[in-house]
Amino acid sequence: MKILEVQHLTKDFGGLRAVDSLDLDIEEGEILGLIGPNGAGKSTVFNCVAGVFPPTKGHIYFRSEEISGRKPWDLCKYGLARTFQIVKPFASKSVLYNVMVGAFAITDKTSEARERALGVLEYLNFEDRKDTRAGNLTIADRKRLEIARALATEPKLLLLDEVMAGLRPSEVDDMVSIIRRLREQGVTIFVIEHIMRAIMALSDRVVVIQFGQKIAEGLPQQVAADENVIKAYLGEEYAVS
Amino acid sequence: MTREKFNTIALAGVVIVAFGLPLVVHSATYLHILVLLWLYAYLTSSWNLVGGFAGVLPLGHAAFVGIGAYTSTVLWLQYGISPWIGMLIGGLLATIVGIIIGLPTLKMRGAYFALATIAFAEGLRVMVENIDRLGPFVLNGPRGLQIPPLETGLYSFMFISKVPYYYIILVMLSGVLAFTWFISRSKLGYLLNAGGEEPEAAMALGINVARTKLIAMAMSSFLTALAGTFYAQFTLYIHPKSIISLDLSFEIAFIALIGGRGSIAGPVLGALLLRPVSDFSRIYFGDTLPGMHLIIFGVVLILVMLFQPRGLQEPLTRIYSRLQARLFASKAMET
Repeated sequence: MKILEVQHLTKDFGGLRAVDSLDLDIEEGEILGLIGPNGAGKSTVFNCVAGVFPPTKGHIYFRSEEISGRKPWDLCKYGLARTFQIVKPFASKSVLYNVMVGAFAITDKTSEARERALGVLEYLNFEDRKDTRAGNLTIADRKRLEIARALATEPKLLLLDEVMAGLRPSEVDDMVSIIRRLREQGVTIFVIEHIMRAIMALSDRVVVIQFGQKIAEGLPQQVAADENVIKAYLGEEYAVS
Repeated sequence: MTREKFNTIALAGVVIVAFGLPLVVHSATYLHILVLLWLYAYLTSSWNLVGGFAGVLPLGHAAFVGIGAYTSTVLWLQYGISPWIGMLIGGLLATIVGIIIGLPTLKMRGAYFALATIAFAEGLRVMVENIDRLGPFVLNGPRGLQIPPLETGLYSFMFISKVPYYYIILVMLSGVLAFTWFISRSKLGYLLNAGGEEPEAAMALGINVARTKLIAMAMSSFLTALAGTFYAQFTLYIHPKSIISLDLSFEIAFIALIGGRGSIAGPVLGALLLRPVSDFSRIYFGDTLPGMHLIIFGVVLILVMLFQPRGLQEPLTRIYSRLQARLFASKAMET
């Protein structure tokens, strides 16, 4: 069953077409990678799906319901969570506080929110940091906090926007295994990433966009060998024809 | 003795001192100063619900004080309705006005929201100054309203001694502090804090930020208006310049910023520090340099923002917990 279907998604900012008639879909339980050069429109796709921007044209269906134009908080409660490329922790509060805010999406009781938040932190091997002020975390831990907060809302679909950027190789490996474990728990994952090693290892399928248009789609190995993709990333002269 | 117990005892000590003061202080002047001190602590705590927790900077709360004061006073003078009932009606009226103001303005960011609230409060002041009658209600324009102290007693909310006023405002302050404590531990408190600090992240986590801010604004407007009625009954004379003035709006914000916005004790600490400054500068500079207290506030505010941007509550909390730690460490060695 398809959990997310994007049809002819177009987003204009003034005269600039950031996303141009894009189609994509994600099966339930799948990990779909979205890649493309800087400025290709990846984050705009995320923002449209997550309800930050209403699409200029096109339709987005999530769990068989049309969601284009619905608000982010509404979508979150309907099972769609996301992380931000530029992390946005509640910096003056503790890690536990941050995650509890996420847990309040599904409960009204403080004690229950605390328990759920502690559960998520334990799941991510993060409970030793629970009393640390979020503003004092390392970049790797901030990325982990973004995921923890999003997970506390118990999403069906999780949008991860460059959660591995800026991490050391060993931290990237940790993150890859965390994301794999999430999928085993039944969370569908839609991920934007620049680190090729990670996205190749992680994704079941990859969609490549450039200038807001889809230029390739398929298994990671297929996409990596695709002529258009190599051109987009490295320039004309590297394409072996 | 556990730490929790120690905290409870310390809090009980503060409460006993606060409630016991009128037994020791008999001077009407000092009682007057103390009543104003608790009144400002109350006003700032009410402000803090939206200005502290929701992370916006309202600079027009005097408008709600004015709505509360005028509502109860008009109802008492013209219809003989007890100011206690007028207080509630004023609170409800202020809530409605707060929501109407908040709906368009709470979506604005930073300085724009602050400016919009100033504009609203000033607009209201100018309006009241220029209206002698609003329909059947006599407002008396710039001359204001005087409440003749003919009937004293609980029903008319008028007393000859300052002591009843002292206890009324202290109970009101305790109430608003308890309410703030409750909110800060509830779901609403978490949502408000999150929305104030990182609105985009908060929205992505399922929070309708504009709505939570509006709820905070409604509660804050209601509580602020109650203080307006109290002020009217305490001074028995209100006029637009005194009660809907920018000075009052700014003083509330100053106290909050210096004491520490978004904390429970911050507004009380700020009032304890700044009210005496305000009163004594009025006593000593009142004739020669009126407005001196605002200049002093400005200097203190700059210093606090430079060295303790989160307000004085932070270093004081740190000192308290260090003191506590030392106390327990020495206790542990004794046993």
